Amino acid sequence: MATGFFTDTTLCIGCKACEVACKQWNELPSDGFDFTGDSYDNTSELSGTTWRHVAFVEQMSVDDGGLRDRWLMSSDVCKHCTNAGCLEACPTGAIIRNEFDSVFIQPDICNGCGYCVVSCPFGVVDMIEKFDPEGVRYNLASLVEDRREEHKTALQGNGGVAGKCTLCYDRQKLGFVPACAKACPTDSIQFGDVEELRARARKRVETLTERGMQAQLYGADDIGGGVGPLNAFFLLTDRPEAYNLPAQPVLPSTRQPDGYAAAAVAVLGLAVAGWMIFRNA
Amino acid sequence: MPGLGTSFGRGGATVWLPDLVNADCILIEGSNFAEAHPVGFRFVMEAKERGATIIHVDPRFTRTSAVADIYAPMRSGTDIVFLGAIINYLLTNERYFKEYVSAYTNAPFIVGADFKDTEDLDGIFSGYDPDELVYDFSTWTWERDEKGHIATDPSMQHERCVLNVLRKHYARYTPEMVERVCGTPRHLFEQIAELLAKNSGRDRTTAFAYAVGWTQHTNGVQFVRTAAILQLLLGNIGRPGGGIIALRGHADIQGATDIATLYDLLPGYLPMPSANRNEQTLTDYLKTNTKKTGWWVNTPKYMVSLLKAFYGDAATKENDYCFEYLPQLIGDHSQLVTTIAMKDGTVQGYFCIGQNPGASGQNAEMTKAALESLQWFVNIDSYDNETVSFWRREGANPSKIATEVFFLPAATVLEKDGTMTQTSRLLQFHDKAVEPAGEARSDAWYFNWFAKRLKELYAGSTDPKDRPILDMTWNYDNDDPHEREKGEPSVNKVMQEINGYYTATGEQVASFADLKDDGSTASGGWIYTGVFPDKQTNRARNRDGSGEYTALNWGWAWPANRRTLYNRASADPQGKPWSERKKYVWWDETAKKWTGVDVPDFPATKAPDTPANPDATGMDFHSGADPFIMMLDGKGQMFVPGGALKDAPIPAHYEPQQSVVENALYKQQSSPVFGRYDRDDNRYNKPVDENYPYVLTTYRITEMSGIMTRYVPWLAELQPSAFCEIDPELAVKKGIKSGDWVTLSTALGEMEARALVSGRMRPLRLGKGKRVHQIGVPYNYGSMVALARGDSVGTLIAISLDPNVSIHESKTLTCNIRPGRRPQYREGPTDEPVPAKERSVFGQPEGQWMGPKANGQRQEGEKK
Amino acid sequence: MRELTEPPGREEGAPTPTYYERPLLKPPHWGWSVTTYLFTGGIMGGLGLIQLLADRHDEDERKLRRTARITSFLLAAANPALLISHLGRPERFLNMLRIMKFKSPMSLGVWGLVFYSGAAGGNVVRELANSGVVPRWLRFFAPGILTPAQALLGAFTAGYTGVLLSATANPFWSSGKRHIPAASVASGLSSACALSTLLSVLEGNGRVTHKIERLELVAATAELAILAHFERHAGNYGTPFFTGARGKRMRTYTIQAGILAPMALNLLGMLPLPKPVDATRSVIASVLTLVGGYIFRESLIEAGKLSARDPRAAFVQPT
Ligand SMILES: Nc1nc2c(c(=O)[nH]1)N[C@H]1C(S)=C(S)[C@@H](COP(=O)(O)OP(=O)(O)OC[C@H]3O[C@@H](n4cnc5c(=O)[nH]c(N)nc54)[C@H](O)[C@@H]3O)O[C@H]1N2
Ligand SMILES: Nc1nc2c(c(=O)[nH]1)N[C@H]1C(S)=C(S)[C@@H](COP(=O)(O)OP(=O)(O)OC[C@H]3O[C@@H](n4cnc5c(=O)[nH]c(N)nc54)[C@H](O)[C@@H]3O)O[C@H]1N2
Ligand code: SF4
Ligand code: SF4
Ligand code: SF4
Ligand code: SF4
Ligand code: SF4
Ligand SMILES: [Mo]
Repeated sequence: MATGFFTDTTLCIGCKACEVACKQWNELPSDGFDFTGDSYDNTSELSGTTWRHVAFVEQMSVDDGGLRDRWLMSSDVCKHCTNAGCLEACPTGAIIRNEFDSVFIQPDICNGCGYCVVSCPFGVVDMIEKFDPEGVRYNLASLVEDRREEHKTALQGNGGVAGKCTLCYDRQKLGFVPACAKACPTDSIQFGDVEELRARARKRVETLTERGMQAQLYGADDIGGGVGPLNAFFLLTDRPEAYNLPAQPVLPSTRQPDGYAAAAVAVLGLAVAGWMIFRNA
Repeated sequence: MPGLGTSFGRGGATVWLPDLVNADCILIEGSNFAEAHPVGFRFVMEAKERGATIIHVDPRFTRTSAVADIYAPMRSGTDIVFLGAIINYLLTNERYFKEYVSAYTNAPFIVGADFKDTEDLDGIFSGYDPDELVYDFSTWTWERDEKGHIATDPSMQHERCVLNVLRKHYARYTPEMVERVCGTPRHLFEQIAELLAKNSGRDRTTAFAYAVGWTQHTNGVQFVRTAAILQLLLGNIGRPGGGIIALRGHADIQGATDIATLYDLLPGYLPMPSANRNEQTLTDYLKTNTKKTGWWVNTPKYMVSLLKAFYGDAATKENDYCFEYLPQLIGDHSQLVTTIAMKDGTVQGYFCIGQNPGASGQNAEMTKAALESLQWFVNIDSYDNETVSFWRREGANPSKIATEVFFLPAATVLEKDGTMTQTSRLLQFHDKAVEPAGEARSDAWYFNWFAKRLKELYAGSTDPKDRPILDMTWNYDNDDPHEREKGEPSVNKVMQEINGYYTATGEQVASFADLKDDGSTASGGWIYTGVFPDKQTNRARNRDGSGEYTALNWGWAWPANRRTLYNRASADPQGKPWSERKKYVWWDETAKKWTGVDVPDFPATKAPDTPANPDATGMDFHSGADPFIMMLDGKGQMFVPGGALKDAPIPAHYEPQQSVVENALYKQQSSPVFGRYDRDDNRYNKPVDENYPYVLTTYRITEMSGIMTRYVPWLAELQPSAFCEIDPELAVKKGIKSGDWVTLSTALGEMEARALVSGRMRPLRLGKGKRVHQIGVPYNYGSMVALARGDSVGTLIAISLDPNVSIHESKTLTCNIRPGRRPQYREGPTDEPVPAKERSVFGQPEGQWMGPKANGQRQEGEKK
Repeated sequence: MRELTEPPGREEGAPTPTYYERPLLKPPHWGWSVTTYLFTGGIMGGLGLIQLLADRHDEDERKLRRTARITSFLLAAANPALLISHLGRPERFLNMLRIMKFKSPMSLGVWGLVFYSGAAGGNVVRELANSGVVPRWLRFFAPGILTPAQALLGAFTAGYTGVLLSATANPFWSSGKRHIPAASVASGLSSACALSTLLSVLEGNGRVTHKIERLELVAATAELAILAHFERHAGNYGTPFFTGARGKRMRTYTIQAGILAPMALNLLGMLPLPKPVDATRSVIASVLTLVGGYIFRESLIEAGKLSARDPRAAFVQPT
């Protein structure tokens, strides 16, 4: 069964429980202690070691008595794309689509080439640069026992490995709800069968529109650019850009034919030229 | 929580969190519900989904405001004007719930002729003694007829009946006044007033939620009182989706007040004997504290049972059940007052358990100085903290500090069994999850062994003054061999004793109705009687959420597992539900008893038409339509007579002890009776001080719990530094950018923090007059070396206290702000906070996309 | 997506808001090793073509072919080392060979590299066998078919070094989904020509260089044309590559020093010059081309990093 997330940002209270629950379950290290001055967001973005990230968007008016003022909060996560740039790009096959139809990185196979990082249209996956075996450990539970050691060494390579949301593969295998969804006090993060979630999401948009709110789904249906629908999709009340989401993501592999063709043309042209040059002694 | 206690009878939230989903409107004021109570807030979100209107009134636009339907800004410290104006609105437009008010409140009572209101005396009530700064309460009372019965006017026409006293008292609390004092735009105020009126009555209910945003003021109790009056006028107390939720703080803070960590209370809200009252013998104590009418007629049963629990067989009728063993109050022994006493050398030893006043305390520097002048200091805590390490704080000289410090490691909540009594008075048991780390022991372990060893030390002593220790019952030895081995006492046995037992058989008492004043029963806290009805059943362990939504088999709520207090009021005087929609508890004619989805908070078989008997004592004094059974008269108290509250019978607006404006309502600037400690180690800003032109308010943030979570990397990275929130206008004026270092100052001290410039902070225009800037500072930081760091805001706050509960005024002060870090800044471990995120222009291509210069760019390849 | 009415604090039609000017994408974690990997990959491609073309039976060309084959083999052998230095540990390179994935340029590229090494190796064996360095019968293992094979694989390798970049989510790279692969081929060939020229001059095989230089001239012209078109085509996506400090660096080293200057010098080569002068000219031209080629690859990667950190570039991604 395809499982995923419906993140309803209209229910988010910005408590960051999801962000913390994720790090706790996956034993991910902190990303440092920098004060940004950007609203209440001090982790700033998803990273190799931050797999849930809560965005805070302040939209404050100076004039109209503040009645329209908004403070948007949204918990971002790997989209688990139908056509995943990261998965297609991965040369080692470390990134697989698992039985829950989510996109999963096998850390012991990843060789740290970093190609997935530049192949995610959403800027989600990133390298876990400095892996400190002594420090907070990366969750090993997602792998069968006998591969733990490989896994550790894999992680200790200087190049690091790629890290992103596993959609709690390990928890799902144990029949648990993902840690972030479990921790969410207001059901802003809803986990379940993607088809059900999509239906629920569409109804939700209707209700909100009836209430005179503006709401739209992001990634519930084909998001275009060849990416297809997202298994982790969102209900937004502003343009995607406001939440630092791409309005028009594009699946990188769609550019390959043109690329190879252009290269071929160049090769042919130059080959012919060469042939003419070298033809006569 | 005397604000609620004096109005309704019990010092606890009148409803339970999940009931919020039944509300048609929720007013959140004086609390940052979503941030400080995120899990409980799910019920607010649920209510919103069911169509309720959520209103948040707060000086700051917070995460609560973000999901509220209406947010109204206000100047900190002015709620009495805001709420008072709503009272005025309801009274002048006759929008209050008449049947409810006339039947269930003391609105018809007639106030004595010589009572003078603040309107008459420009800001003070009759009986004020300007030299002693206290009130004489003799005039704050009822007119009585020749038979001594309270004079009432059911038609509520009499000019001195409480309702009309309120009319007069709040007449000048108008929308204009709100605009002028609170700075809240008039249209917002009127919208909110109308919403409350519209969503109250037979068919609809409105709930209020507050927390320390209302209490941490020099007249905090009166903030809550104003809300109580308002909810009585609207007829929302005791009804589903109504009531007042007091959001408690630490997970078990409600339990801490129930089983008496407050210096002036014994368990179960029995007053602590005082040398200043006629309470030197049990008889006198009972005479003073046994109420002739209402539930407190039972005081003797509870007091005697308590003494039996304390002293067991040693407590006999002949020796007054060892009443004389109890210490007697000789004054205000609240924490901050005692801290001053330490500083002045009158107190020489200090047990500080599970608290970090060196960071969280007001005038934190004085707290630390006070510790220096102690002989010994015991701190039981799970972490090193500002308090226990006072001797090595910045600027301290260890070689000059004589205090002997004992630092004992405490097991945390996950490392021990026990119950928590949460916001809804609900007891829930939690089992130990892991063994305590290292040498750590549960707090119960420490007390168990303090007691045992004291008993050993005094064993065989014949000195009468040692009897209390020798006679004290102490048998909590654990039956679980593993725990016994570790010396951990049995929390079950403690709970069983609190619940109470028959002294003859040792059987558990099933209900506080069965407690006796003849020594045949013992109970360590009568309000909890019933949680452990027999040795096998611990109802705090109940986890059955099925059946009615009241889920009476989930946990156990005091008293008697009632979820909504005073729920008799959910039915009309005849005992019928006010409406089908708001059905909750009602009189069953056929069965001749009260029934409903909750445990009736009323004598089970007392018919609604039972007449009151003015000459009777106890419960018979009340009619079958008097829902507030703890009260003398069974009524909700709009007017609190007889000085149950030391500062006012009806709330009047006073400016905080430090303010940016004069009191627009009265000549009297701030509360005439608040606790002031004007001394040069506790310097105050002037009441209105041109050197400190900005309002300062303090609060907590979701990412940190107290000052204790700074060590958790996953939390510290979310809010890594002490910061202050300022509005863009002030930021421009002061040349401060978001993320910059700034220094805040008061007459007492200085602190540095990072600036968070945000439109969520709004400059307010007071009427046509002054432009007011408010600065907000979270209190969750302290100077200790931790992952998240910063100065404690406690260094800015001089001690000034509410006269009723001695709570500090940390919610409204004045301050000044300047760019840059504080001076006398020394390099050193406790000093260097984590540096700002590198914001490099490098890595930013030119071109039309570029917005504000490079804000938040990371150096290429650089990792966060 | 439905257009929404603007929220407070934003006027109708105001530029798309960014999230505190924070970038949406992650920059590539690639440094010198990958740059060199791509650079040499291009050269290998070029050499593949040269060793195919230079099969006229005159001594100079035979020499040229030999050099081309040997160098290409050495480069092919060196490349895995480069990858490994990027990955951290040798065994990590083997993971690349777990699977062959047509959707992944990186995967295909590595396999291309492997086969190319094979072909190049075979051809080297044939060279050595011909010149009797190794027993003649070994030629049996290196059939003639390997010559066109190496050329084809080379062509792929060169092209792939471009597709590797252009088929990503990186706004700048993907804006050049055609240009970068084509330019990579051209740049690879001109660099290969330059390298061959250089080596030929060094082993005193000066005469043959004029042919190569003419080929280099064509390649350089092609590269120049492609880049010129790319700049106009890429528009704002191209700013990190064409403008600013890095743009300047690219223009100076790649376009001016790396393409225009060598072109001029190679045109000079058409004139009858005294031998030593001519040799010096060739050497200078070749070195310039090689440097230009390297900076070209480096600029691509560095510009990719900038582009990824641009807070707006990835909102609407080039199709
Ligand atoms: N995450 C987290 N949760 C906590 C705690 C924690 O440390 N961290 N602490 C717990 C404890 S101990 C407690 S007591 C509770 C406190 O719970 P709350 O009282 O809800 O929390 P505060 O943030 O202290 O204050 C609430 C709000 O009061 C506002 N305020 C300030 N002055 C005034 C005023 O004059 N009028 C009104 N109407 N509002 C005002 C502040 O702006 C703030 O938003 O939270 C508990 N929950
Ligand atoms: N300016 C300002 N000051 C304030 C407030 C404000 O709003 N503004 N809020 C006030 C309020 S409401 C409160 S409640 C106080 C809270 O102030 P404190 O209670 O002093 O702060 P906490 O961090 O909650 O302190 C809890 C301490 O107990 C320790 N601890 C945790 N678990 C255990 C345990 O099981 N056993 C023992 N023995 N110790 C344990 C922790 O390590 C921590 O040091 O702050 C008050 N101070
Ligand atoms: S969002 Fe990015 S990382 Fe996640 S599946 Fe899609 S492409 Fe992969
Ligand atoms: S970094 Fe790891 S996961 Fe990413 S593409 Fe390379 S091998 Fe695959
Ligand atoms: S699903 Fe698991 S891994 Fe993914 S964000 Fe949630 S908690 Fe983290
Ligand atoms: S846990 Fe839920 S409510 Fe809290 S921030 Fe995450 S999504 Fe929002
Ligand atoms: S910390 Fe505990 S008490 Fe506070 S909101 Fe979370 S669950 Fe409730
Ligand atoms: Mo608290």
